Amino acid sequence: MIKFNHVFKIYEKNIKALEDINFSISKGEFVFLTGPSGAGKTTILNLLYREDIPDMGSVFVNNEDISHISDRKLPFYRRNIGFVFQDFKLLFDRTVFDNIALPLVITKTEKKFIKNKVEEYINKTGLCGKEKLTPWHLSGGEKQKVAIARAFITNPSLILADEPTGNLDDESSWEIIKMFEEVNKEGTTILFATHNKELLQKMNKRVIRLNKGKVISDESI
Amino acid sequence: MKVFKEVFLNFKKSGFMNLISVGTIAITIIILGSYFIANLAVNHFLSRVENKIEIVVFLKDGFAAEKMKNTITELESLNEIEDVKFISKYDAYQEFVKDKEILTILQSFESNPLPDSIKIKLKEYTPKNIDKIINILKSKEGIEEIQYGGKEIENLLNILNVIKIIMIVIGIIFIISSLLVVSNIIKLTIYARRQDIYIFKMVGATNFFIKMPFILEGIIHGFFGGIIGWVILYVIINILLTEIKKETGLDFTGFYVFTPSFFSLKFLIETIIAGILLGFFGSLLSLGNIKEK
Ligand SMILES: Nc1ncnc2c1ncn2[C@@H]1O[C@H](COP(=O)(O)OP(=O)(O)OP(=O)(O)O)[C@@H](O)[C@H]1O
Ligand SMILES: [Mg+2]
Repeated sequence: MIKFNHVFKIYEKNIKALEDINFSISKGEFVFLTGPSGAGKTTILNLLYREDIPDMGSVFVNNEDISHISDRKLPFYRRNIGFVFQDFKLLFDRTVFDNIALPLVITKTEKKFIKNKVEEYINKTGLCGKEKLTPWHLSGGEKQKVAIARAFITNPSLILADEPTGNLDDESSWEIIKMFEEVNKEGTTILFATHNKELLQKMNKRVIRLNKGKVISDESI
Repeated sequence: MKVFKEVFLNFKKSGFMNLISVGTIAITIIILGSYFIANLAVNHFLSRVENKIEIVVFLKDGFAAEKMKNTITELESLNEIEDVKFISKYDAYQEFVKDKEILTILQSFESNPLPDSIKIKLKEYTPKNIDKIINILKSKEGIEEIQYGGKEIENLLNILNVIKIIMIVIGIIFIISSLLVVSNIIKLTIYARRQDIYIFKMVGATNFFIKMPFILEGIIHGFFGGIIGWVILYVIINILLTEIKKETGLDFTGFYVFTPSFFSLKFLIETIIAGILLGFFGSLLSLGNIKEK
């Protein structure tokens, strides 16, 4: 489903964020992406989301080189992907409810359906009672939960998660992980970037390790 | 209806900017409206001047009017000509004797001293058209004299044409500059919301979906700007007219530009449409490249 083929990403001032990255992920896999800060995890996820384009090499999703997706088609490509951003990217002048509903609102989904869906994910992520608050009034962990609920709400076939448990206590971390496992069982492909060694060990999944923009190991623990 | 929610959020986020945008459109409408009135007045004046201009051809005495028929039909068939009128010396006499003083002068003659004549009205009084007609007439027999005001009329016509062109240029400059102001203000409101726009793109919103609220915003600004501009223009003109009446006793309210029909529903609707178009194109302009984050 996903294939990185000799991908390079170089930022100005010659920062080599990614250097000759090669890996494939099949449909339905649950893969962790790990490595120290600045290793290039977010960069890989951004390339997959077509928020950025590689300077060399290609990124394939469903056998399509995604650099070639036109600006017009890009929104529709993104609608198949749920992205939990490291910095959440929430709308601060809207309520928790509206933030979670956003991916459905932009596709003109029926109101009642949206309401049910949002309530379902508010329950799953443990945000009950916070529906009407704006992100200003949420803790870091709560904002992260909103970002997660928003990524899940469209039932995407691919979920990209950038440190989705970084701000959560152990208990809610496991609640969230359970959500990921659940959709993974139903066939959703997951690419999960994390620093959390304990999580990697407990989960026993494939782990791609990065360091300074290179893949240093790719194995199942 | 979602789109109205977006517009409302825009308004909350950059309320002051909205006021500036509406204000700019209102000012533009006032300027365009005054320009429109001035233009109407100038054109009215110009057409009155042009209506007074005619070419008069005096025919030789004793020259059979019959022979002039061909010339008249030839003139009538020309595109440049609005109207050709033959005035016999008898008709001219009847016209002149209406004036008592002229009557006594005319009565001192044994017979009717007035010549037969032809009055020619042109559709457009350009020097080129006048020249053409004069040349045709000069080639004909039986013509005593041609009167058309000569160089003075040509100069006046040239000046009037320059005034018309200047008015058009000023109008275009007004429209372009106000479009730029409005589009730049909407650009600022977009800038204030760039983070939100970026997030919308990040969850897969189409450009159309993102642009819609801003376009609607422009249209709403235009609507209110149009109404406010009209009200202010109405008040200004009314105060001016009453002041002029008080100071000079001249009543311009009857002048056709200022007749009540001018400040009618029709004109209000026209200003609102002008405002809406300004807001619409202004926002379209500012949304041209919404790509950057
Ligand atoms: N827009 C950018 N401009 C310049 N350099 C960038 C940009 N984005 C990332 N980088 C650089 O690319 C490298 C990889 O960054 P990236 O965000 O992918 O790291 P990461 O693995 O996600 O780190 P972290 O665990 O801290 O989130 C870093 O050295 C970073 O400074
Ligand atoms: Mg990162």
